[in-house]
Amino acid sequence: MATKKETVLPEVNKTFAMTKGGLKSLVEGLIKDIEVFGVKPKHGKYVYDKIASFKELCLDYDVTVTPPTKYLLPAKETLLKFSLGDKSKAEPVIETTPRAIIGVHPYDIKAIELLDTAFMSTNPDPNYITRRRNTIIIGVDCLNPSPKSFASSMGTNLTETGFDLLLTDIGTGYMVTVGSKKGTELLARYSQVREPRGSEIAKQKAVRDEASARYKLSLNVPRERLPKILEENYEDPYWESRSAPCLSCGSCVMVCPTCFCFDVKDEVALNLKEGERLRQRDGCLLVDFAKVATGENFRHTKASRFRHRIFRKGKYILERYGRVGCVGCGRCAIACLAEIASPVEAFNAIAELAEAKEATIRRTREARPETELYIPRLAELVGVTELTPREKVFEFRLLDGRPLGQRPGQFVEVSVMGIGEAPISISSSPTRDGTFQLAIRKVGDVTNALHNLKRGDTVGIRGPFGNGFPLETLEGKDILFVAGGIGLFPLRSLIQYVLDRRNSYGKVILLFGARSPAERLFLDELAAWSKNPQIEFRETVDVGDESWKGNVGVITTLIPKVVIDPKKTQAVVVGPPIMYRFVIVELKKRGLPDESIIMSLERRMKCGVGKCGHCQINSVYVCQEGPVFTLAQLRNLKEAV
Amino acid sequence: MKPKVAFFDFTGCEGCQLDALNLDAGEVIDLLNAVDIVNFREVKTERTDDYDIAFIEGSISRESEIPRLKKIRDQAKIVVALGSCACIGGVNCLKNHLPMEEALQIVYGKDARYYDTIPARPVNAVVPVDYYVRGCPPVTAELVKVIKALLLGKKPDIPNYPVCVECKMAGNVCVFERGITCLGPVIRAGCDAICITSGRRCWGCRGLVDDPNLDSEKDILKKYGLTVEQVVEKFRIYNTYAEVTK
Repeated sequence: MATKKETVLPEVNKTFAMTKGGLKSLVEGLIKDIEVFGVKPKHGKYVYDKIASFKELCLDYDVTVTPPTKYLLPAKETLLKFSLGDKSKAEPVIETTPRAIIGVHPYDIKAIELLDTAFMSTNPDPNYITRRRNTIIIGVDCLNPSPKSFASSMGTNLTETGFDLLLTDIGTGYMVTVGSKKGTELLARYSQVREPRGSEIAKQKAVRDEASARYKLSLNVPRERLPKILEENYEDPYWESRSAPCLSCGSCVMVCPTCFCFDVKDEVALNLKEGERLRQRDGCLLVDFAKVATGENFRHTKASRFRHRIFRKGKYILERYGRVGCVGCGRCAIACLAEIASPVEAFNAIAELAEAKEATIRRTREARPETELYIPRLAELVGVTELTPREKVFEFRLLDGRPLGQRPGQFVEVSVMGIGEAPISISSSPTRDGTFQLAIRKVGDVTNALHNLKRGDTVGIRGPFGNGFPLETLEGKDILFVAGGIGLFPLRSLIQYVLDRRNSYGKVILLFGARSPAERLFLDELAAWSKNPQIEFRETVDVGDESWKGNVGVITTLIPKVVIDPKKTQAVVVGPPIMYRFVIVELKKRGLPDESIIMSLERRMKCGVGKCGHCQINSVYVCQEGPVFTLAQLRNLKEAV
Repeated sequence: MKPKVAFFDFTGCEGCQLDALNLDAGEVIDLLNAVDIVNFREVKTERTDDYDIAFIEGSISRESEIPRLKKIRDQAKIVVALGSCACIGGVNCLKNHLPMEEALQIVYGKDARYYDTIPARPVNAVVPVDYYVRGCPPVTAELVKVIKALLLGKKPDIPNYPVCVECKMAGNVCVFERGITCLGPVIRAGCDAICITSGRRCWGCRGLVDDPNLDSEKDILKKYGLTVEQVVEKFRIYNTYAEVTK
């Protein structure tokens, strides 16, 4: 051994230089003594397989079809051998063959470290541990990453732990880092190394830097944020839509180095006297993975399985084991024929969703800076019409010349300085001209003050606030309006909106009830509606008088008179609280689902911006999530109706 | 009392029966210790109408086969469909795309008038089937697995996942990556992806998984260069019956 003088005792955690010949003698030495596995080409791809000579070994591959974790956790292995019958006995079966895996990329080493945590910490797994202790891992830096890999984003393109030896090909030879005492012994027994020269250390850094610049895919969000953004988007429609082409073929989980789930089953010999208990690789993407004996499947939809897998990769594994759950090897993305499996793509899509939500928050913040939140815009009173002695319609125009921009069903905070501010629903549709109308009953200080205003006077306006009626849901449907008393005030904005866009809806029925003929509102409009052939209009009064020739009776008596198709109809109901209870009963009798019954709630809304707390019912702020709700939503809000 | 096992053949090549007991000598002895094989045309000539477990090979393609099958169902405690023809209709169903008269003409020419035929169908289209041993030919190990499960009184554990699972476990390079199309993603595993491992592709002889995403598989086949007709043809070879009844 001519080079003997140059050799050193290779200490753990130190890096040395090794010639190509030195590597050859290491590999061939190992092949002579134990089973050696490494990477070989196959059909234009690379696979891990048994290596019989150094020249078979490939060290400059991009990625293998399946990971080397199969040598620690085989696709199928026997856990127990047993005998059947009265005195059945079970013996563990533990494999102890010593092996070396040569050429393991850092991302796979990181995956093995995860398996170590999962199988060697709580409830240590004897089969895994034994195999792991008998396995030598010789890594090699990945200098030629697969186009589907994103290991650099997951922090797994390099590793300082998890190997016995780690090689870097620097062209003229190898750098070798010793990762364990076993690594020291390997070098001492099979090869020689020497202290590296400065130029070699520089070269190693250069090839690693070049390699990390070669990754084509990257995570667009810091990976520490993945658990949080996944959690926040658990219900997003993304999971459903993205998983639509999923074949549930399991290819993604079968090629994944961080997937380690398994099934356990018994196989009995034909003599029915003895058998084996096997564990076989299984995966959460497969249809029956979460199915129990009674037939119930706890993850029976493609979307739920697809989401679970991505959550395991981005959140659950990290939280459970403290290690990254996806090492970014890209094997699943290569294996998935439907081209939907890549975790980086899912992570980035979710990051984009999270970013869009945050951008909305930012935009809202910019649109309503804190200094302006409580400052009203001035509006001039341009017209007043008396409806009844107690109720007037006020028409306003904003002095800044801009339209109010309301949706039907929204409200504004109206202020009269010195008196106060009150929430008032908007009675006119945005489809009408640049003014807006507020119909107001005289009931308190602010409304009394408003009733004293004359044309040309100004008030303060904040808003519009609230969600408004669900215009998108109503589109194309039959609509049943039910207005009780001044419930017509907010509902009128939607009635106008629907009449102005009449062709966008099916049948339109409008029911209106007032306490007495004297309390009927918007008489001109009631008359016009009753003559409009495009709508079915019915009205009633609770108590008639000598002048009244129409229906008498509460509004619920009108409902049995109309023909409605419960599948196509959306009922929009606004009135006093007592009315809701009875109208709901009638509508349910007609078969309307809870989702199709829409109501607007009245609550004390002091601030309109979700702060003061007055309008809160259970978990919702009516001024923010309301005032419009479906009955289905209100069923969960015990305080609501 | 050992259960009495009978094998019956309907329309098929009888290759399933031929292959069924392709066991090694030790296993044959174990099997014969466990069950009495009473009817098995490829092995013995004696026959009896007293049996517990009936293995049915072949699809049903003649009117006269229907009462014969119903009689077997009445007699047997357990009916097992053996092979692709019995389980899913198999290649016999290819003729279902033609008028029956024309099919007879093509096959028998001037002698067609001596034969009758009906659209071919799997056993479970005529009588209830308890278990299935799939494949063309069936995997012997799976037949043995079903027999063992019956003897132990448990449900045989037949996968409801596609061939891809076993193909990946076998360490194969996906044939799609080599420009070859394959039905593996929607076909029931249990064959250990033997065709792909042996350098071929999956033609679907074990039938579809319970809830196959056929739209997605068809899109993938088209993406890899197949025309709509070629896609349909691929499915028809073994899975005509599933296709036409859906």
